[in-house]
Amino acid sequence: MTGLKRLLAAAAVSGAALTGAMAQETIFLSTQLRPVEEATKVRQIILKGAPGPVTFVVEEPSPFQTRMDAETQAGKRTISMVGALHGELAPLVASKGLEPVDGLVAKATALGVPDAMMALGKLGTNSQMYIPWMQATYIMAARKEALQYLPAGADVNSLTYAQLKDWAKAIQDKTGKRALGFPAGPKGLLARFFQGYLYPSYTGGVVATFKSAEAEAMWGAFKDLWAHVNPNSASYDFMQEPLMAGEVMIAFDHVARLKDALVAAPNDYVTFPAPSAGKGRGFMPVVAGLGVAPNAPNKAGAMATIEHLLKPETQIAMARELGFFPVVKADLPADLPGGIKLLVEGVAKTQGAKDALVSLLPVGLGAKGGEFNKVYVDTFQAIVLRGAPIRATLDAQAATLQTIMNETKAPCWAPDKPGDGACKVN
Amino acid sequence: MTGAPVSRRLRGLVFWSGIAMLCVWVLAPIYLIALGAFGGRAGVFRWPKSLMPWDTTLAAMQAFLAVDGVWAAALNGALVAGLTMLFSLLLGAPAGYALARYAFAGQSAFRMLVVLTRAFPLAILALPLTVTFIRVGLYDTAVGVALVHTALALPFAALVSSSLFMGIPRELEEAAWVFGCTGFQAFRKIVLPLALPGLAAAAIFAFVISWNEVFAASVLTVRNKTLTAYLLTVLAESPLHFRFAGGFLLILPSVVFMFAVRKYLFAMWGVANR
Repeated sequence: MTGLKRLLAAAAVSGAALTGAMAQETIFLSTQLRPVEEATKVRQIILKGAPGPVTFVVEEPSPFQTRMDAETQAGKRTISMVGALHGELAPLVASKGLEPVDGLVAKATALGVPDAMMALGKLGTNSQMYIPWMQATYIMAARKEALQYLPAGADVNSLTYAQLKDWAKAIQDKTGKRALGFPAGPKGLLARFFQGYLYPSYTGGVVATFKSAEAEAMWGAFKDLWAHVNPNSASYDFMQEPLMAGEVMIAFDHVARLKDALVAAPNDYVTFPAPSAGKGRGFMPVVAGLGVAPNAPNKAGAMATIEHLLKPETQIAMARELGFFPVVKADLPADLPGGIKLLVEGVAKTQGAKDALVSLLPVGLGAKGGEFNKVYVDTFQAIVLRGAPIRATLDAQAATLQTIMNETKAPCWAPDKPGDGACKVN
Repeated sequence: MTGAPVSRRLRGLVFWSGIAMLCVWVLAPIYLIALGAFGGRAGVFRWPKSLMPWDTTLAAMQAFLAVDGVWAAALNGALVAGLTMLFSLLLGAPAGYALARYAFAGQSAFRMLVVLTRAFPLAILALPLTVTFIRVGLYDTAVGVALVHTALALPFAALVSSSLFMGIPRELEEAAWVFGCTGFQAFRKIVLPLALPGLAAAAIFAFVISWNEVFAASVLTVRNKTLTAYLLTVLAESPLHFRFAGGFLLILPSVVFMFAVRKYLFAMWGVANR
């Protein structure tokens, strides 16, 4: 009897201790930094100086949406703060999964977060829905032994798509290998290549110019280029692995998905901007943001954690450890690890290119972002992989694209000319 | 004169090469995963691959086991799987007994309906299920996940135990009644001991089903994730040697389990207990 009583008492005490601890704990749900090594670094290094205990939970985008919606519908929260890409946070506005964080705007602006980036964080509302957290972009990386095949007169830091094709062709002629690679696998980010790089470079737009004459010529040229692309590209999600395995020598991908190869052997690689075409050198900055859930169990903890993550020293640590770049004003130290330095150089060359043409992430598409991506990937698969006629494919997909624009009433975004009302495919 | 030994030798050859084929079929992938798991970061990209376990390293394994929360998740996974085993047996065995021994209206419909629980994709149920679980307080608990896993394992437990009970002659039970046992006593003293090995095997299948399930386990929990949910979602995006290490750790319990209970697996079909 006494044993049972003691057990009950112990259970009650530990239960009380548990709820006490949970009151201070901030649960931070993130779709970013999911890989085991990176999540470990976030827990052990980045969040170490946070004001209270933070539990960092990572989740893929689709369960992330499900969980946020479920907690909203049930009216009970376990998640206090979220960290996700701009495009993953956007649908949370409609489903009431985000609370305005206007209280942090002054602080973020004072730390040097650019106004344009803060404006993205409003997600089309009048309040600040998320605070920019970190940024990244896409670059190209090549193994140094590929440089000997560069066509005469081509500078790797200011390549054109025509030169990239000649380069890949030269490698194929000399070595018999199709050495150029793109992340066209099921989880690869190829859609962003079309939206942020290929289309802007050739046509100066993304939506308005979707079926223009330039677009028609562009797909023809890209189809020719694909003859020198490693056919295994259809299975590549992260280009770092085929680079490390030596399957490809030149690759385009998100910096975080090239990082492992560059960090493992910094002396073997060069990084450089994506190629240019008639209208410039398109590139797409990627922004991840931090938000607070409505009726969060620990709102104060969430706000304090966001402030901690915005500190210049935290942001520098994230660049050093994880390869994501600061959104605040912070000078990266000179003693960065070799692989990270390569990434920084690649990004700097991209941003600083004379003909750089910024392409924003899709704005205002909400939950339709996936369908928007599908238009570009479907077009690619039809024209390049299955050999469908270019003009007919573009016309058919343009109708789908226009439907998405009409349904979301999304106005055009850069590099398309901004205007009133739904963006029009010309 | 020599015809008979030659054909016997030929038959032996076919028999043993068949066995060798099956062994390679099962063991080769496991061996390759183990090789990758212990080969280190550079090892997985070496080409041509060395099939010998030279220059192995425990680095990937150690890094893996040092990941925050792996042990807690392993404990959670075992707890959820244990509960699933218990629930599916407590619910499945009586259902199986009823199917085997009693004739009732709608028996074959019931048999179909039991299997139907597996017909709904969990991805569709995820949102309503999560909302309900939050409301009733089962969200982020081991019991909650075990309940969903029990729903998945139940058809298996019910149908297997029904075939088990059918394999035990009704006469044995009737004899027990004649000697004065009540219905329950007869079940407990005569039928249960005979069915036990098979029931154990069914329980172990429930364990494996739960151990390997990812989707429900990851959506219904936040902090208390099972090992499979905790690791599998992140493995797909981790470096290759990490994936091998994680894959190796995830198949290990299942393989050990199967090996430990291999003789009961045959009992499951009602063969060995007569």
